[in-house]
Amino acid sequence: MPPASETNSQEFEGLFTLYMVIGGAIAVLVLTAIAYAVIRYRHREGRRRSEPRGMKPLEAIWVACVAGLVIVLLVATFRTEERVDAVTDDPAQNIEVLAFQWGWRFTYPGTGITTVGSGARPPTLVVPAGETVRFDLTSRDVIHSFWIPELRFKRDAFPNRTTTFDLVFDPGVSTTARCAEFCGLDHDQMDFQVVSMSPSDFERWLRSHERGQGAP
Amino acid sequence: MTTIAPPMPRPGPAEWVLATDHKRTAARIAVAAFAFFIASGVLALLMRSELAQPGLQIVSTDTYNQLFTMHGSGMIYLVITPLALALGLYFVPLQVGAADVVAPRLTAFGFWLYLGGGLTMYSGFLTSTGAGKAGWTAFYPLSGEQASPGPGMDMWIVGVALAVAGMMIVAATILLTLIRQRAPGMDITRLAPFSWSMFFTCAMTVTSFPVLIVAMGLLFADRNLGPIFDTPGGPATYQNLFWFYGHPVVYIMFFPFLGVVADVVATFSRRRLFGYPFLVISLLAFTGLSMSVWAHHMFATGQVNNEYYSLTSTALAIPAGVEYFDVIATMIGGAVLLRTPMLFALGFLSLFLIGGLTGIVVGSPPLDYHVHDTYFVVAHFHYTLFGGSMMGAFAAAYYWFPKVTGVMLREWIGKLQFALLFIGVNLTFFPMFLLGYDGMPRRVADYAPEAGFTGNNRLATIGAYVIALGIAAFIANLVVSLRRREPAGDDPWEGQTLEWATSSPPPRLNFSGLPPIRSYAPLLDLREAREDEG
Repeated sequence: MPPASETNSQEFEGLFTLYMVIGGAIAVLVLTAIAYAVIRYRHREGRRRSEPRGMKPLEAIWVACVAGLVIVLLVATFRTEERVDAVTDDPAQNIEVLAFQWGWRFTYPGTGITTVGSGARPPTLVVPAGETVRFDLTSRDVIHSFWIPELRFKRDAFPNRTTTFDLVFDPGVSTTARCAEFCGLDHDQMDFQVVSMSPSDFERWLRSHERGQGAP
Repeated sequence: MTTIAPPMPRPGPAEWVLATDHKRTAARIAVAAFAFFIASGVLALLMRSELAQPGLQIVSTDTYNQLFTMHGSGMIYLVITPLALALGLYFVPLQVGAADVVAPRLTAFGFWLYLGGGLTMYSGFLTSTGAGKAGWTAFYPLSGEQASPGPGMDMWIVGVALAVAGMMIVAATILLTLIRQRAPGMDITRLAPFSWSMFFTCAMTVTSFPVLIVAMGLLFADRNLGPIFDTPGGPATYQNLFWFYGHPVVYIMFFPFLGVVADVVATFSRRRLFGYPFLVISLLAFTGLSMSVWAHHMFATGQVNNEYYSLTSTALAIPAGVEYFDVIATMIGGAVLLRTPMLFALGFLSLFLIGGLTGIVVGSPPLDYHVHDTYFVVAHFHYTLFGGSMMGAFAAAYYWFPKVTGVMLREWIGKLQFALLFIGVNLTFFPMFLLGYDGMPRRVADYAPEAGFTGNNRLATIGAYVIALGIAAFIANLVVSLRRREPAGDDPWEGQTLEWATSSPPPRLNFSGLPPIRSYAPLLDLREAREDEG
């Protein structure tokens, strides 16, 4: 299978930077215009109001610029989303995720490896870096959300329903991930750890844990 | 012109309860909404105090979950929507030259439904299992019988349905008043900007609120009669119903204050509003889009067409751009007077800008995949709802208090309040953008000391207390100004629209006579005609 070109966090950074630059420029422009209007045209005794010319053409130009920026942002968003939401026919690894109040279960199909944890003993999700990992996500009870902040990605877990998505992890990830959808009493304790390793290390990890039980 | 009608008698206790005049009903709603604002604000201070440092110090997790549920649902169902509609109920009849609203008794009934609903929601705190604790959105199955047993949740559902039904009735009567009760000469193309904003607000209200009432009814039936949403598609169906109400309501809480700001900016720039027809068309476009953006709250579910809702949501930037241009262009070439209502209007424009631009960020699905359900979103909507709506509400309070009571609010306390709120809002909500980006989810009572969230949380907590000081300054201003009365006269601001053509407060049937109406700004027309003669 072809190597995945960009990780999820790289996809996010590129798009986020574009939005921040354009949004920041608009914010500066509008705040400057407000400050200019208030200072330049502040009320003084004896000064008559004027009717500045050319405001209507300026409004047309402004609206055209905003519309142009909307199109730029949407095209960038759609392109990124197409890549982020794509589901390959041939993932390097499948992982089944079950969310429950208030913990997680990760199953590696065909290997007998299952990791469960909750609360003060969060489970660890071990993944290969730089390859496409397929997730099949579901919930045992209420809606949860599978969120890996460092990967800039989340997806909701619904009961009676499996949601499928692909992720590509950066190398050397060792981070805390958590439930993002409020799910009741111990929602704030519903964490898990994520560790990414090179594909060869991951293979070794799989083999050493095959048919073994419990956490790595 | 002089007003010869007798002033309204000061209301006795019985009149406060029984009177059906639109001004009395509106005042009742505003007073109740302000009381709920204080209550929901106290809940927010408790939350911010708990989050000032890691670990649980003040409340249990279960209590915290009730606090954020009641804070959010209180502010949206019981405070900002009712405040917006109370302004409309009071000032739309005045701005269109009507003697009262259509169906004033039904409108008064709407207030009682709203008050009963609000008290029912809050009464959940008195039950053994506590108040509603499934968030202001009450997503299923968390809000179902199994995950949230107990009467507090049922009372929350019934209370929300009652309050929303009450506000729907009020909006319907304002809309019909705008259509049927306009004075001779007040063509629909001559409505004041605020009245136009209420026209679209009420149109959105009567189309979206019924869906929430249905959703609450189904949720109540699911809990008490038998499963309804318990199917593979049920939870997402509930979300679709909820957000079909839940996104238009965001603009219902925004438009009226944008209308107030447009009136205030024109008045305090001593100029006619620039681009009046464009502003109205942009509001119309905004309203149309508002009914088809709801599922941008559901990007992370994987069960909606993300591209479509991203397209409609991002396109909102275009009418919003028109609105900003028209308001700023009104000041350019004007004579800008920085009185208190104008300060709050400028606060609205600059803070809502931050909320609006970050709204475009969360309207992009790949970006929303990260920031959805985090403090980034909390920061975003507090910039729109506190930085925007509440700043607009205070602009309205300072602008119209003289009309409603006949006395001025103190200018210096108002400026102090503005400074406290402006600093407090930024100090509270800006750090939340960083917290969310760095991985702090919303709706958590605690966070790990090693997560790196402590510093920004502490800033936000300090900011929340600065906001509280600002609100205390407002209450002090109300007390001082009502005790040591500085009479306002009919038109203290050189207003442009019809509410300034009657006494302060207006008489029972509002007007004893009307000036000729040839534009949206009849009083400005008169003033300019006098200047031309002189």
